[in-house]
Amino acid sequence: MIHVDALSKSFHDRKRGTIKAVSNLSFDVAAGEIFGLLGPNGAGKTTTLRLLATVLRPSSGSATICGIDLVHDPDRARRRLGFLSGDMGHYGRLTPRQALMFFGRLNGVSKPELGRRAAELLHRFDLDSVADVKTDKLSTGMKQRLAIARCVVHDPPVLILDEPSAGLDVPGARSMEQFILEQKNAGKSIVFSSHVMEEAEYLCDRIAVVNQGELKVVGTMAELKALTGRTRLREVFLDLIGLTPEAKGVHA
Amino acid sequence: MWESVLAVYIKEMTEVFRDRRTMISMVIVPIVILPLLFTVMAKFMGARSKEAGNEARVIAVRSQLSEEFTTALRQAGLEPIVESDLRASVENKQVAAGLDIDQTGAKEAITVYTDNTREASQIAGERVKGALNALQNQRLRKRLQSAGLPAALASPLDIRGINVASQRKMAGFFTGSMVGYLMILLMFTAAMYPAIDMTAGEKERHTLEALLSSGASRDGIMLGKILAAATASFLTGILTLAGLMYSLHNILPRAASAQVSGVNLLEPSTIGLVLVSMVPIALLGASAMLAIALFAKSYKEGQTYVTPLLMVVIFPAILGMLPGLELTPALALIPIFNVSQLVKEIFLGSFSVAAFCVTLAANAVYALIAFCVAGVTFRRESVLFRT
Repeated sequence: MIHVDALSKSFHDRKRGTIKAVSNLSFDVAAGEIFGLLGPNGAGKTTTLRLLATVLRPSSGSATICGIDLVHDPDRARRRLGFLSGDMGHYGRLTPRQALMFFGRLNGVSKPELGRRAAELLHRFDLDSVADVKTDKLSTGMKQRLAIARCVVHDPPVLILDEPSAGLDVPGARSMEQFILEQKNAGKSIVFSSHVMEEAEYLCDRIAVVNQGELKVVGTMAELKALTGRTRLREVFLDLIGLTPEAKGVHA
Repeated sequence: MWESVLAVYIKEMTEVFRDRRTMISMVIVPIVILPLLFTVMAKFMGARSKEAGNEARVIAVRSQLSEEFTTALRQAGLEPIVESDLRASVENKQVAAGLDIDQTGAKEAITVYTDNTREASQIAGERVKGALNALQNQRLRKRLQSAGLPAALASPLDIRGINVASQRKMAGFFTGSMVGYLMILLMFTAAMYPAIDMTAGEKERHTLEALLSSGASRDGIMLGKILAAATASFLTGILTLAGLMYSLHNILPRAASAQVSGVNLLEPSTIGLVLVSMVPIALLGASAMLAIALFAKSYKEGQTYVTPLLMVVIFPAILGMLPGLELTPALALIPIFNVSQLVKEIFLGSFSVAAFCVTLAANAVYALIAFCVAGVTFRRESVLFRT
């Protein structure tokens, strides 16, 4: 479903010159798989996800979603993906129903289908009672549920989730996990980034550790543990980005 | 693409109608504030004019005047009072004007003191000069009569002034000058809030990524936004025209403007032509403001970036208010000025079809250029994700 081949992205900064945010990244994600991207702040996770969501254009390399090239046909590719990030905002003057109708139309959902789909999602995410209330008036939890509904209104086969549980309380994070697992069971390909190790360990089929824009390692949890000889994902992660004393010694 | 354009347009218009700031500049200013301002202004001008007329009655003279002078001044509605220091009396606003008649020489030397920064003093000065001219003519006719000469010798030239401009034309000039300027100004102001909200506002609310990762193309999104901002601007234009026509026909004639009284300028062709000429301006304003506001990261920053554009617009719009300028095809290429001048000429009933077409075409081309700039800017990652 997702194929990434030597994807790179550089930015130009007047003071710092050219910055390589993502360098030569390659991986595949199959249908019904949750692929986790882990890395410290500034590792290039968000840039990678923005590249996959076609919000950014790669400097080099290529990627396909359901066989559609992201660089050459981004508009068509976008209709097959749902993108969600933790700090995604809402149109406060629109109601949840209007927001869903808006994003559905942008993603090419037909009008009769859209009405049915919006009603279904409002019910699924327990937003029936506030369906016609301005989004500004909604609680944080409701807004988060609306963001999820918005991202799947067109029932995309691919989901790209950038720290989706950031800022959520425990019940919110739990319902986010449930949503991600539901989507996996529905056969969707999910790329997901997080700083919460426990969440990544619980959800991900495979994990990629990224640091300084480069892919350090990809594997299942068991493979990563075997590779580092660690049992906790946090230790595995720190080891792989060279932040444990042993790893520092190795790197030195 | 058109499905996305329509979706973005409907969404933006829904937001526009629910945004208090936009509604104030789009609806309240043209149809409430503007007529209210005109009402206050008309009342103030009427009261001030009456007051100045009353004030202009009292003038100072150095000593008691002869019967002949007193009668001439009284006939002109003036009331002379004796004051020792004429200049100081005028300067201190004790009287509207001062009249000094020196009868020591062979010929009476007359000096009139006025303070031309005061309306009452100017009026009094004119009245005094009018009264003295009448007296001079009267004396001249008497002298001619006693010399056995015909009184007509006193005025060898029979001068008459006729204003060939019809009342319709005068009203058109007065109205057209004001309508063009105010429509442009308020249309740009009304486009400003939606333009900022649709760009910098999206960044500030963190909705931009969701929009960009949707199935809509960048051009489709930008076109939908521009059309929505232009609609807000154009609706403001219609309401401004309505507000101004109401004010000019129902408020001003009662007080200050005899020029527009009794003249019907609300012909469908005039209104239609004015509105058609404003369509490219709405598109130009919306595109230019969106292109600029895209660079801002927040609503506040957007206002800082876009406000100078309003200053740039005001100057050519004011130029169009000046009398004596005519819209040639060459001048019709100057944006903003061309439409301000064209609206004046439409109201005057003297516009040329060529100038109308050139103005429309030129502004449409400028709007297209601004749209392309906005489109290119909207594809620049360095602008959209500026940190």
